[in-house]
Amino acid sequence: MRLFMLIFAFCMTLPVQAELSYTLQPRQIADGVWLLEGSTDNFDKRNGGNIVNTGFIVGDAGVIVIDSGPSRLYGEAMRAAISRVTDLPVTKVLLTHHHPDHVLGNQAFADVPIAALAGTTELLREQGNAMAENMYRLVGDWMRGTEVVLPNQTVAPGTLEVAGRSLRLLALRGHTGADLAILDERSGVLFAGDILFFQRALTTPNSPGLDVWLDDLTTLEALPWKRLVAGHGPVADDAEPFRQMRDYLGWLDGLLRDAARSGADMNEVIQSPIPERFAGISLTRYELIRSVSHLYPRYEVDALQRVDQ
Amino acid sequence: MSARILLLLFAFHASSAVAAEADPLQSVMWEYHHKGLLNSEPYVFDERVQVQVPPFAEDSRQVPVHIDARALGDEVVRIEAFADLNPIPRIFTFTPGEQVVPLVAIRIRVQQATPIRAAVLTRDGVWHIGSARVDAAGGGCTAPSVVRAQAGWEDRLGEVVGARFPRGEFSRLRLQVSHPMDNGLVGGIPEFFLNQAELRDADGKVMAELELYPAVAENPNLSLEVKGGQETRLWLRDNNGNEFEAAF
Repeated sequence: MRLFMLIFAFCMTLPVQAELSYTLQPRQIADGVWLLEGSTDNFDKRNGGNIVNTGFIVGDAGVIVIDSGPSRLYGEAMRAAISRVTDLPVTKVLLTHHHPDHVLGNQAFADVPIAALAGTTELLREQGNAMAENMYRLVGDWMRGTEVVLPNQTVAPGTLEVAGRSLRLLALRGHTGADLAILDERSGVLFAGDILFFQRALTTPNSPGLDVWLDDLTTLEALPWKRLVAGHGPVADDAEPFRQMRDYLGWLDGLLRDAARSGADMNEVIQSPIPERFAGISLTRYELIRSVSHLYPRYEVDALQRVDQ
Repeated sequence: MSARILLLLFAFHASSAVAAEADPLQSVMWEYHHKGLLNSEPYVFDERVQVQVPPFAEDSRQVPVHIDARALGDEVVRIEAFADLNPIPRIFTFTPGEQVVPLVAIRIRVQQATPIRAAVLTRDGVWHIGSARVDAAGGGCTAPSVVRAQAGWEDRLGEVVGARFPRGEFSRLRLQVSHPMDNGLVGGIPEFFLNQAELRDADGKVMAELELYPAVAENPNLSLEVKGGQETRLWLRDNNGNEFEAAF
Protein backbone atom coordinates (compact mmCIF):
# COMPACT_ATOMS: atom_id res chain seq x y z
CA MET A 1 0.00 0.00 0.00
CA ARG A 2 2.80 2.38 0.89
CA LEU A 3 4.46 1.53 -2.42
CA PHE A 4 1.20 2.22 -4.20
CA MET A 5 0.96 5.62 -2.51
CA LEU A 6 4.52 6.39 -3.55
CA ILE A 7 3.79 5.51 -7.16
CA PHE A 8 0.66 7.60 -7.00
CA ALA A 9 2.56 10.56 -5.57
CA PHE A 10 5.19 10.20 -8.29
CA CYS A 11 2.54 10.19 -11.01
CA MET A 12 1.05 13.36 -9.58
CA THR A 13 4.32 15.16 -10.20
CA LEU A 14 4.58 14.13 -13.87
CA PRO A 15 2.08 16.56 -15.40
CA VAL A 16 4.01 19.50 -14.00
CA GLN A 17 5.97 20.62 -17.03
CA ALA A 18 9.46 22.00 -16.93
CA GLU A 19 9.31 25.75 -17.50
CA LEU A 20 9.88 26.58 -21.16
CA SER A 21 12.94 28.67 -21.85
CA TYR A 22 15.02 29.48 -24.91
CA THR A 23 18.73 29.10 -24.39
CA LEU A 24 19.92 31.95 -26.55
CA GLN A 25 23.71 32.24 -26.86
CA PRO A 26 24.74 35.37 -28.77
CA ARG A 27 27.80 34.72 -30.92
CA GLN A 28 30.03 37.57 -32.01
CA ILE A 29 30.52 37.37 -35.77
CA ALA A 30 32.25 40.73 -36.31
CA ASP A 31 33.25 43.80 -34.31
CA GLY A 32 30.10 44.71 -32.40
CA VAL A 33 27.95 42.36 -34.48
CA TRP A 34 26.19 39.48 -32.74
CA LEU A 35 24.16 36.57 -34.02
CA LEU A 36 21.52 34.37 -32.39
CA GLU A 37 21.48 31.37 -34.69
CA GLY A 38 18.38 29.19 -34.83
CA SER A 39 18.07 25.67 -36.15
CA THR A 40 17.17 24.81 -39.73
CA ASP A 41 14.22 22.67 -38.57
CA ASN A 42 10.52 23.33 -38.92
CA PHE A 43 8.36 24.99 -36.24
CA ASP A 44 7.88 22.47 -33.50
CA LYS A 45 6.74 22.18 -29.91
CA ARG A 46 10.28 21.08 -29.04
CA ASN A 47 12.08 24.12 -30.47
CA GLY A 48 9.58 26.85 -29.62
CA GLY A 49 9.93 28.21 -33.11
CA ASN A 50 13.62 29.04 -32.64
CA ILE A 51 14.39 28.23 -36.25
CA VAL A 52 15.41 31.72 -37.22
CA ASN A 53 18.52 33.89 -37.19
CA THR A 54 18.23 37.14 -35.31
CA GLY A 55 21.02 39.53 -34.47
CA PHE A 56 22.05 42.78 -32.90
CA ILE A 57 24.69 45.40 -33.51
CA VAL A 58 26.31 47.18 -30.59
CA GLY A 59 26.95 50.74 -31.76
CA ASP A 60 28.74 53.55 -29.94
CA ALA A 61 25.60 54.83 -28.30
CA GLY A 62 23.16 51.94 -28.28
CA VAL A 63 22.08 48.60 -29.67
CA ILE A 64 20.29 47.96 -32.96
CA VAL A 65 18.22 44.77 -32.93
CA ILE A 66 17.57 42.91 -36.18
CA ASP A 67 14.33 40.87 -35.94
CA SER A 68 12.68 39.96 -32.65
CA GLY A 69 12.04 36.22 -33.04
CA PRO A 70 8.98 33.95 -32.99
CA SER A 71 7.36 34.69 -29.61
CA ARG A 72 7.14 37.07 -26.69
CA LEU A 73 9.21 34.62 -24.66
CA TYR A 74 11.91 34.65 -27.34
CA GLY A 75 11.91 38.46 -27.47
CA GLU A 76 12.35 38.62 -23.70
CA ALA A 77 15.13 36.03 -23.77
CA MET A 78 16.81 37.95 -26.58
CA ARG A 79 16.70 41.20 -24.66
CA ALA A 80 18.15 39.48 -21.60
CA ALA A 81 20.92 38.01 -23.78
CA ILE A 82 21.72 41.47 -25.16
CA SER A 83 22.00 42.87 -21.64
CA ARG A 84 24.55 40.17 -20.81
CA VAL A 85 26.72 41.45 -23.69
CA THR A 86 26.44 45.20 -23.21
CA ASP A 87 25.10 47.81 -20.82
CA LEU A 88 24.08 50.06 -23.70
CA PRO A 89 20.34 50.47 -24.23
CA VAL A 90 18.48 49.08 -27.21
CA THR A 91 17.78 52.11 -29.40
CA LYS A 92 16.07 50.58 -32.41
CA VAL A 93 14.56 47.37 -33.71
CA LEU A 94 14.68 46.71 -37.46
CA LEU A 95 12.36 44.06 -38.89
CA THR A 96 13.47 42.37 -42.10
CA HIS A 97 9.92 41.27 -43.04
CA HIS A 98 6.52 40.44 -41.55
CA HIS A 99 6.76 36.65 -41.11
CA PRO A 100 5.92 35.42 -37.60
CA ASP A 101 9.31 33.91 -36.74
CA HIS A 102 10.91 37.33 -37.28
CA VAL A 103 8.47 39.73 -35.57
CA LEU A 104 6.46 38.07 -32.80
CA GLY A 105 9.06 38.97 -30.15
CA ASN A 106 8.20 42.65 -30.64
CA GLN A 107 6.39 42.86 -27.27
CA ALA A 108 9.76 42.66 -25.50
CA PHE A 109 10.81 45.85 -27.32
CA ALA A 110 7.57 47.80 -26.94
CA ASP A 111 9.49 50.72 -25.31
CA VAL A 112 11.86 51.05 -28.30
CA PRO A 113 11.17 52.37 -31.83
CA ILE A 114 10.37 49.36 -34.04
CA ALA A 115 11.06 50.13 -37.68
CA ALA A 116 10.20 48.34 -40.92
CA LEU A 117 9.44 48.97 -44.55
CA ALA A 118 5.95 50.42 -45.08
CA GLY A 119 4.92 47.25 -46.93
CA THR A 120 6.02 45.09 -44.01
CA THR A 121 3.79 46.99 -41.57
CA GLU A 122 0.87 46.70 -43.99
CA LEU A 123 1.34 42.95 -44.43
CA LEU A 124 1.68 42.44 -40.68
CA ARG A 125 -1.53 44.41 -40.12
CA GLU A 126 -3.34 42.17 -42.63
CA GLN A 127 -1.88 38.79 -41.77
CA GLY A 128 -0.33 39.09 -38.31
CA ASN A 129 -3.16 37.70 -36.19
CA ALA A 130 -3.78 34.73 -38.46
CA MET A 131 -0.06 33.94 -38.53
CA ALA A 132 0.18 34.22 -34.74
CA GLU A 133 -2.78 31.86 -34.34
CA ASN A 134 -1.10 29.34 -36.59
CA MET A 135 2.07 29.64 -34.51
CA TYR A 136 0.11 28.72 -31.38
CA ARG A 137 -1.04 25.61 -33.26
CA LEU A 138 2.49 24.72 -34.35
CA VAL A 139 4.61 25.43 -31.26
CA GLY A 140 2.02 25.56 -28.46
CA ASP A 141 2.85 26.92 -25.02
CA TRP A 142 5.99 28.74 -26.13
CA MET A 143 3.63 31.30 -27.66
CA ARG A 144 1.79 32.04 -24.42
CA GLY A 145 1.07 35.76 -24.08
CA THR A 146 2.31 36.55 -27.60
CA GLU A 147 0.47 39.26 -29.51
CA VAL A 148 1.19 41.13 -32.69
CA VAL A 149 2.88 44.52 -32.16
CA LEU A 150 3.01 46.62 -35.32
CA PRO A 151 6.11 48.68 -36.19
CA ASN A 152 5.84 52.34 -35.22
CA GLN A 153 8.51 53.70 -37.58
CA THR A 154 8.93 53.39 -41.31
CA VAL A 155 12.34 53.03 -42.95
CA ALA A 156 13.18 53.69 -46.57
CA PRO A 157 16.08 52.36 -48.62
CA GLY A 158 19.32 54.31 -48.17
CA THR A 159 21.80 54.89 -45.39
CA LEU A 160 20.55 54.88 -41.82
CA GLU A 161 22.78 56.43 -39.16
CA VAL A 162 21.83 54.97 -35.82
CA ALA A 163 23.64 54.63 -32.50
CA GLY A 164 26.87 55.73 -34.17
CA ARG A 165 26.68 52.99 -36.77
CA SER A 166 26.06 53.40 -40.46
CA LEU A 167 23.65 50.86 -41.99
CA ARG A 168 22.84 50.52 -45.66
CA LEU A 169 19.17 49.53 -46.08
CA LEU A 170 17.81 47.83 -49.17
CA ALA A 171 14.14 47.40 -50.01
CA LEU A 172 13.68 44.10 -51.83
CA ARG A 173 10.55 42.09 -52.74
CA GLY A 174 11.33 38.49 -53.67
CA HIS A 175 10.37 36.69 -50.44
CA THR A 176 7.31 38.61 -49.21
CA GLY A 177 6.90 41.73 -51.37
CA ALA A 178 8.56 43.85 -48.65
CA ASP A 179 11.97 42.55 -47.62
CA LEU A 180 14.58 44.64 -45.84
CA ALA A 181 18.27 43.75 -46.13
CA ILE A 182 20.77 45.46 -43.86
CA LEU A 183 24.47 45.95 -44.56
CA ASP A 184 26.57 47.08 -41.62
CA GLU A 185 29.09 49.34 -43.40
CA ARG A 186 31.78 49.09 -40.72
CA SER A 187 31.99 45.29 -40.51
CA GLY A 188 30.67 44.31 -43.92
CA VAL A 189 28.14 41.94 -42.34
CA LEU A 190 25.05 41.61 -44.52
CA PHE A 191 21.83 40.66 -42.77
CA ALA A 192 19.96 39.39 -45.82
CA GLY A 193 16.72 38.47 -44.07
CA ASP A 194 14.83 35.69 -45.82
CA ILE A 195 16.03 36.76 -49.24
CA LEU A 196 18.74 34.24 -48.32
CA PHE A 197 18.05 30.77 -46.99
CA PHE A 198 21.14 28.59 -46.62
CA GLN A 199 21.02 24.79 -46.12
CA ARG A 200 17.31 25.23 -45.44
CA ALA A 201 14.59 25.16 -48.08
CA LEU A 202 13.19 28.58 -48.91
CA THR A 203 9.54 29.45 -48.20
CA THR A 204 7.20 31.15 -50.64
CA PRO A 205 3.83 32.04 -49.04
CA ASN A 206 3.96 35.72 -50.06
CA SER A 207 6.49 35.69 -52.89
CA PRO A 208 5.49 37.92 -55.84
CA GLY A 209 7.42 35.55 -58.13
CA LEU A 210 10.64 33.60 -58.32
CA ASP A 211 11.96 35.91 -61.07
CA VAL A 212 11.66 38.88 -58.68
CA TRP A 213 13.55 36.89 -56.07
CA LEU A 214 16.35 36.05 -58.51
CA ASP A 215 16.75 39.77 -59.32
CA ASP A 216 17.05 40.55 -55.60
CA LEU A 217 19.88 38.03 -55.28
CA THR A 218 21.80 39.90 -57.99
CA THR A 219 21.27 43.18 -56.15
CA LEU A 220 22.45 41.74 -52.84
CA GLU A 221 25.45 39.88 -54.17
CA ALA A 222 26.80 43.10 -55.73
CA LEU A 223 27.04 44.80 -52.31
CA PRO A 224 30.46 45.08 -50.60
CA TRP A 225 29.67 42.37 -48.04
CA LYS A 226 32.29 40.37 -46.16
CA ARG A 227 30.05 38.01 -44.20
CA LEU A 228 26.54 36.77 -44.94
CA VAL A 229 23.80 36.19 -42.42
CA ALA A 230 20.89 34.35 -44.02
CA GLY A 231 17.45 34.48 -42.42
CA HIS A 232 17.80 30.76 -41.86
CA GLY A 233 20.97 28.67 -41.88
CA PRO A 234 24.66 29.09 -41.08
CA VAL A 235 26.81 32.19 -41.58
CA ALA A 236 28.94 32.22 -44.73
CA ASP A 237 32.02 34.15 -45.85
CA ASP A 238 31.75 33.21 -49.49
CA ALA A 239 29.04 33.40 -52.15
CA GLU A 240 27.85 29.81 -51.62
CA PRO A 241 24.45 30.87 -50.23
CA PHE A 242 23.82 32.92 -53.39
CA ARG A 243 24.84 30.00 -55.60
CA GLN A 244 22.60 27.60 -53.69
CA MET A 245 19.64 30.00 -53.78
CA ARG A 246 19.94 30.53 -57.55
CA ASP A 247 20.26 26.81 -58.16
CA TYR A 248 17.23 25.99 -56.02
CA LEU A 249 15.03 28.83 -57.30
CA GLY A 250 15.91 27.92 -60.88
CA TRP A 251 15.04 24.28 -60.27
CA LEU A 252 11.74 25.15 -58.57
CA ASP A 253 10.76 27.58 -61.35
CA GLY A 254 11.58 25.03 -64.07
CA LEU A 255 9.78 22.21 -62.23
CA LEU A 256 6.57 24.22 -61.89
CA ARG A 257 6.68 25.49 -65.48
CA ASP A 258 7.32 22.03 -66.99
CA ALA A 259 4.63 20.46 -64.81
CA ALA A 260 2.05 23.05 -65.89
CA ARG A 261 2.96 22.56 -69.55
CA SER A 262 2.55 18.80 -69.23
CA GLY A 263 -0.89 19.15 -67.61
CA ALA A 264 0.12 17.86 -64.17
CA ASP A 265 -2.20 18.18 -61.20
CA MET A 266 -0.94 19.65 -57.89
CA ASN A 267 -0.71 16.26 -56.19
CA GLU A 268 1.49 14.98 -59.01
CA VAL A 269 3.82 18.00 -58.75
CA ILE A 270 4.15 17.54 -55.00
CA GLN A 271 5.58 14.07 -55.58
CA SER A 272 8.23 15.22 -58.07
CA PRO A 273 11.72 13.90 -57.39
CA ILE A 274 14.04 16.35 -55.62
CA PRO A 275 17.54 16.44 -57.14
CA GLU A 276 20.27 14.68 -55.20
CA ARG A 277 22.35 17.87 -55.07
CA PHE A 278 19.78 19.38 -52.67
CA ALA A 279 20.07 16.49 -50.20
CA GLY A 280 21.97 18.69 -47.72
CA ILE A 281 19.17 21.27 -47.61
CA SER A 282 16.64 20.63 -44.85
CA LEU A 283 12.87 20.44 -45.42
CA THR A 284 12.91 20.39 -49.22
CA ARG A 285 9.90 18.05 -49.55
CA TYR A 286 7.89 19.91 -46.94
CA GLU A 287 8.55 23.26 -48.59
CA LEU A 288 7.87 21.87 -52.07
CA ILE A 289 4.38 20.87 -50.88
CA ARG A 290 3.86 24.40 -49.59
CA SER A 291 5.35 26.12 -52.65
CA VAL A 292 3.13 24.14 -55.02
CA SER A 293 0.14 25.47 -53.10
CA HIS A 294 1.47 29.06 -53.24
CA LEU A 295 2.88 29.25 -56.73
CA TYR A 296 1.51 26.53 -58.99
CA PRO A 297 -1.82 28.27 -59.71
CA ARG A 298 0.07 31.08 -61.52
CA TYR A 299 2.05 28.63 -63.65
CA GLU A 300 -1.16 26.72 -64.40
CA VAL A 301 -3.00 29.78 -65.66
CA ASP A 302 -0.03 30.57 -67.92
CA ALA A 303 -0.37 27.11 -69.49
CA LEU A 304 -4.15 27.39 -70.11
CA GLN A 305 -6.14 29.44 -72.64
CA ARG A 306 -9.66 30.78 -72.74
CA VAL A 307 -11.91 27.97 -73.94
CA ASP A 308 -15.38 29.23 -73.01
CA GLN A 309 -17.80 30.08 -75.80
CA MET B 1 -28.36 -16.92 -15.63
CA SER B 2 -24.70 -17.03 -16.58
CA ALA B 3 -25.62 -19.10 -19.65
CA ARG B 4 -27.92 -16.32 -20.76
CA ILE B 5 -25.11 -13.78 -20.41
CA LEU B 6 -22.84 -16.03 -22.41
CA LEU B 7 -25.48 -16.31 -25.09
CA LEU B 8 -25.86 -12.56 -25.15
CA LEU B 9 -22.12 -12.12 -25.44
CA PHE B 10 -22.04 -14.66 -28.24
CA ALA B 11 -24.83 -12.86 -30.08
CA PHE B 12 -22.96 -9.54 -29.67
CA HIS B 13 -19.77 -10.99 -31.11
CA ALA B 14 -21.61 -12.63 -33.96
CA SER B 15 -23.24 -9.35 -34.97
CA SER B 16 -19.93 -7.49 -34.97
CA ALA B 17 -18.41 -10.27 -37.07
CA VAL B 18 -20.89 -9.78 -39.91
CA ALA B 19 -20.29 -6.00 -39.96
CA ALA B 20 -17.93 -5.00 -42.77
CA GLU B 21 -14.24 -4.48 -42.22
CA ALA B 22 -13.06 -1.62 -40.05
CA ASP B 23 -12.33 1.81 -41.50
CA PRO B 24 -8.53 2.05 -41.92
CA LEU B 25 -8.74 5.71 -40.87
CA GLN B 26 -11.04 4.95 -37.92
CA SER B 27 -13.20 7.95 -38.66
CA VAL B 28 -16.14 8.56 -36.30
CA MET B 29 -18.19 9.61 -39.34
CA TRP B 30 -17.64 6.55 -41.52
CA GLU B 31 -20.79 4.67 -40.52
CA TYR B 32 -22.84 7.85 -40.82
CA HIS B 33 -21.67 8.52 -44.37
CA HIS B 34 -21.98 4.86 -45.32
CA LYS B 35 -25.62 5.09 -44.39
CA GLY B 36 -26.34 8.58 -45.70
CA LEU B 37 -24.31 8.73 -48.91
CA LEU B 38 -23.96 5.05 -49.86
CA ASN B 39 -27.40 3.86 -48.66
CA SER B 40 -25.76 1.25 -46.41
CA GLU B 41 -24.87 -0.74 -49.51
CA PRO B 42 -22.07 -3.35 -49.49
CA TYR B 43 -18.53 -1.96 -49.55
CA VAL B 44 -14.87 -2.88 -49.31
CA PHE B 45 -11.88 -0.71 -48.51
CA ASP B 46 -9.87 -1.10 -51.68
CA GLU B 47 -6.32 0.13 -52.28
CA ARG B 48 -6.97 0.11 -56.01
CA VAL B 49 -8.94 3.29 -55.48
CA GLN B 50 -6.22 5.89 -55.06
CA VAL B 51 -6.93 9.10 -53.23
CA GLN B 52 -4.02 11.53 -53.22
CA VAL B 53 -3.96 14.60 -51.03
CA PRO B 54 -1.03 16.53 -49.55
CA PRO B 55 -0.19 15.42 -45.99
CA PHE B 56 -1.29 18.86 -44.78
CA ALA B 57 -3.39 21.65 -46.25
CA GLU B 58 -1.17 24.67 -46.85
CA ASP B 59 -4.32 26.57 -47.85
CA SER B 60 -7.52 25.15 -46.34
CA ARG B 61 -9.53 26.95 -49.05
CA GLN B 62 -7.74 25.16 -51.90
CA VAL B 63 -6.82 21.58 -51.05
CA PRO B 64 -5.92 19.47 -54.08
CA VAL B 65 -7.60 16.04 -54.25
CA HIS B 66 -6.66 13.50 -56.91
CA ILE B 67 -8.87 10.44 -57.29
CA ASP B 68 -7.84 7.60 -59.56
CA ALA B 69 -9.94 4.43 -60.00
CA ARG B 70 -8.35 3.33 -63.27
CA ALA B 71 -7.33 0.03 -61.65
CA LEU B 72 -11.03 -0.92 -61.56
CA GLY B 73 -11.23 -0.34 -65.32
CA ASP B 74 -14.56 -0.49 -67.12
CA GLU B 75 -16.33 -1.85 -64.05
CA VAL B 76 -16.72 1.68 -62.65
CA VAL B 77 -20.29 3.00 -62.63
CA ARG B 78 -20.04 6.02 -60.35
CA ILE B 79 -17.65 7.81 -58.00
CA GLU B 80 -18.83 9.61 -54.86
CA ALA B 81 -16.20 11.85 -53.25
CA PHE B 82 -16.59 13.27 -49.77
CA ALA B 83 -14.69 14.70 -46.80
CA ASP B 84 -15.80 12.95 -43.58
CA LEU B 85 -15.53 15.88 -41.19
CA ASN B 86 -16.54 18.78 -43.40
CA PRO B 87 -19.72 20.75 -42.63
CA ILE B 88 -20.51 20.07 -46.32
CA PRO B 89 -19.02 16.60 -46.76
CA ARG B 90 -19.97 15.93 -50.38
CA ILE B 91 -17.48 16.97 -53.06
CA PHE B 92 -18.77 15.47 -56.31
CA THR B 93 -20.63 12.61 -57.94
CA PHE B 94 -18.95 11.47 -61.15
CA THR B 95 -20.52 9.14 -63.70
CA PRO B 96 -17.96 8.45 -66.44
CA GLY B 97 -19.22 6.99 -69.70
CA GLU B 98 -17.17 4.48 -71.63
CA GLN B 99 -15.12 7.18 -73.38
CA VAL B 100 -14.09 8.78 -70.07
CA VAL B 101 -11.46 7.56 -67.60
CA PRO B 102 -12.42 7.15 -63.89
CA LEU B 103 -10.01 9.85 -62.75
CA VAL B 104 -10.76 13.28 -61.30
CA ALA B 105 -8.48 15.95 -59.85
CA ILE B 106 -10.19 18.85 -58.10
CA ARG B 107 -9.60 21.36 -55.27
CA ILE B 108 -11.78 21.58 -52.21
CA ARG B 109 -12.28 23.49 -48.97
CA VAL B 110 -11.71 21.79 -45.63
CA GLN B 111 -12.91 23.08 -42.29
CA GLN B 112 -10.57 20.87 -40.23
CA ALA B 113 -8.25 17.89 -40.60
CA THR B 114 -10.34 15.17 -42.23
CA PRO B 115 -10.36 11.88 -44.12
CA ILE B 116 -11.04 12.33 -47.84
CA ARG B 117 -12.94 9.45 -49.50
CA ALA B 118 -13.63 8.19 -52.95
CA ALA B 119 -16.40 5.59 -53.03
CA VAL B 120 -16.39 3.85 -56.38
CA LEU B 121 -19.47 1.83 -57.32
CA THR B 122 -18.78 -1.10 -59.65
CA ARG B 123 -21.23 -3.01 -61.84
CA ASP B 124 -21.63 -5.77 -59.23
CA GLY B 125 -23.19 -3.23 -56.81
CA VAL B 126 -20.23 -3.00 -54.43
CA TRP B 127 -18.65 0.26 -53.30
CA HIS B 128 -14.84 0.30 -53.37
CA ILE B 129 -13.56 2.83 -50.88
CA GLY B 130 -10.26 4.68 -51.19
CA SER B 131 -9.19 7.02 -48.39
CA ALA B 132 -6.53 9.55 -47.46
CA ARG B 133 -6.18 11.93 -44.56
CA VAL B 134 -5.29 15.60 -44.81
CA ASP B 135 -4.12 17.59 -41.81
CA ALA B 136 -5.25 21.22 -41.69
CA ALA B 137 -5.36 24.37 -39.61
CA GLY B 138 -8.86 24.50 -41.08
CA GLY B 139 -11.41 27.22 -41.54
CA GLY B 140 -11.51 26.85 -45.33
CA CYS B 141 -15.30 26.51 -45.49
CA THR B 142 -16.04 29.69 -43.54
CA ALA B 143 -13.18 31.88 -44.80
CA PRO B 144 -14.23 35.07 -46.65
CA SER B 145 -14.47 34.69 -50.40
CA VAL B 146 -11.33 35.59 -52.33
CA VAL B 147 -13.23 35.86 -55.61
CA ARG B 148 -15.79 38.32 -54.23
CA ALA B 149 -12.98 40.58 -52.99
CA GLN B 150 -11.81 41.08 -56.59
CA ALA B 151 -13.42 43.97 -58.45
CA GLY B 152 -15.39 42.95 -61.52
CA TRP B 153 -15.69 39.26 -60.61
CA GLU B 154 -19.30 39.25 -61.86
CA ASP B 155 -18.08 40.07 -65.37
CA ARG B 156 -15.75 37.10 -65.32
CA LEU B 157 -18.38 34.67 -64.03
CA GLY B 158 -18.28 31.47 -66.03
CA GLU B 159 -15.07 32.24 -67.87
CA VAL B 160 -13.18 29.01 -68.46
CA VAL B 161 -9.47 28.61 -69.09
CA GLY B 162 -8.36 25.17 -70.12
CA ALA B 163 -6.27 22.99 -72.36
CA ARG B 164 -5.98 19.45 -73.61
CA PHE B 165 -2.80 17.52 -72.80
CA PRO B 166 -2.00 14.27 -74.62
CA ARG B 167 -1.27 11.35 -72.29
CA GLY B 168 -0.55 8.30 -74.40
CA GLU B 169 -3.84 6.98 -75.79
CA PHE B 170 -5.76 9.37 -73.53
CA SER B 171 -5.95 13.10 -73.28
CA ARG B 172 -6.21 15.03 -70.09
CA LEU B 173 -8.54 17.99 -69.98
CA ARG B 174 -7.59 20.65 -67.46
CA LEU B 175 -9.77 23.64 -66.76
CA GLN B 176 -10.55 26.37 -64.30
CA VAL B 177 -13.90 28.12 -64.12
CA SER B 178 -14.38 31.59 -62.66
CA HIS B 179 -17.07 31.13 -60.02
CA PRO B 180 -17.24 32.02 -56.29
CA MET B 181 -18.80 28.64 -55.31
CA ASP B 182 -20.50 30.26 -52.31
CA ASN B 183 -21.42 27.53 -49.86
CA GLY B 184 -23.85 29.47 -47.65
CA LEU B 185 -21.53 29.27 -44.63
CA VAL B 186 -20.09 32.77 -45.00
CA GLY B 187 -22.23 35.46 -43.36
CA GLY B 188 -24.80 37.17 -45.58
CA ILE B 189 -23.95 35.29 -48.78
CA PRO B 190 -26.42 32.56 -49.86
CA GLU B 191 -25.44 29.40 -51.72
CA PHE B 192 -24.31 30.16 -55.26
CA PHE B 193 -22.32 27.37 -56.84
CA LEU B 194 -21.82 25.27 -59.94
CA ASN B 195 -23.78 22.09 -59.31
CA GLN B 196 -23.92 20.37 -62.69
CA ALA B 197 -21.45 19.62 -65.44
CA GLU B 198 -21.41 17.36 -68.47
CA LEU B 199 -18.72 16.34 -70.89
CA ARG B 200 -20.25 16.04 -74.36
CA ASP B 201 -18.93 14.94 -77.71
CA ALA B 202 -19.12 17.02 -80.89
CA ASP B 203 -22.69 15.78 -81.52
CA GLY B 204 -23.84 16.81 -78.06
CA LYS B 205 -23.99 13.25 -76.72
CA VAL B 206 -23.17 13.05 -73.00
CA MET B 207 -19.81 11.37 -72.32
CA ALA B 208 -19.76 11.90 -68.53
CA GLU B 209 -21.83 13.58 -65.83
CA LEU B 210 -20.44 15.46 -62.87
CA GLU B 211 -22.50 16.79 -59.98
CA LEU B 212 -20.64 19.32 -57.85
CA TYR B 213 -21.27 20.35 -54.25
CA PRO B 214 -20.06 23.52 -52.53
CA ALA B 215 -17.19 21.76 -50.77
CA VAL B 216 -15.49 22.43 -54.11
CA ALA B 217 -13.16 25.43 -53.86
CA GLU B 218 -13.71 28.83 -55.44
CA ASN B 219 -12.79 29.07 -59.12
CA PRO B 220 -13.12 25.28 -59.52
CA ASN B 221 -10.03 23.64 -60.96
CA LEU B 222 -10.67 20.29 -62.59
CA SER B 223 -8.74 17.59 -64.44
CA LEU B 224 -10.49 14.77 -66.35
CA GLU B 225 -9.22 12.25 -68.89
CA VAL B 226 -10.93 11.06 -72.05
CA LYS B 227 -10.06 8.28 -74.45
CA GLY B 228 -8.75 9.39 -77.83
CA GLY B 229 -8.47 12.93 -79.17
CA GLN B 230 -12.00 13.70 -80.32
CA GLU B 231 -13.45 17.15 -79.78
CA THR B 232 -14.95 17.49 -76.31
CA ARG B 233 -17.31 20.10 -74.97
CA LEU B 234 -17.97 20.97 -71.36
CA TRP B 235 -21.37 22.21 -70.22
CA LEU B 236 -21.80 23.77 -66.76
CA ARG B 237 -24.77 25.08 -64.80
CA ASP B 238 -24.96 26.77 -61.38
CA ASN B 239 -27.81 26.66 -58.87
CA ASN B 240 -29.04 30.04 -60.14
CA GLY B 241 -29.53 28.57 -63.61
CA ASN B 242 -26.56 30.25 -65.32
CA GLU B 243 -25.18 28.00 -68.06
CA PHE B 244 -21.64 28.06 -69.41
CA GLU B 245 -19.91 26.15 -72.19
CA ALA B 246 -16.34 25.46 -73.20
CA ALA B 247 -14.71 23.46 -75.98
CA PHE B 248 -11.49 21.44 -75.97
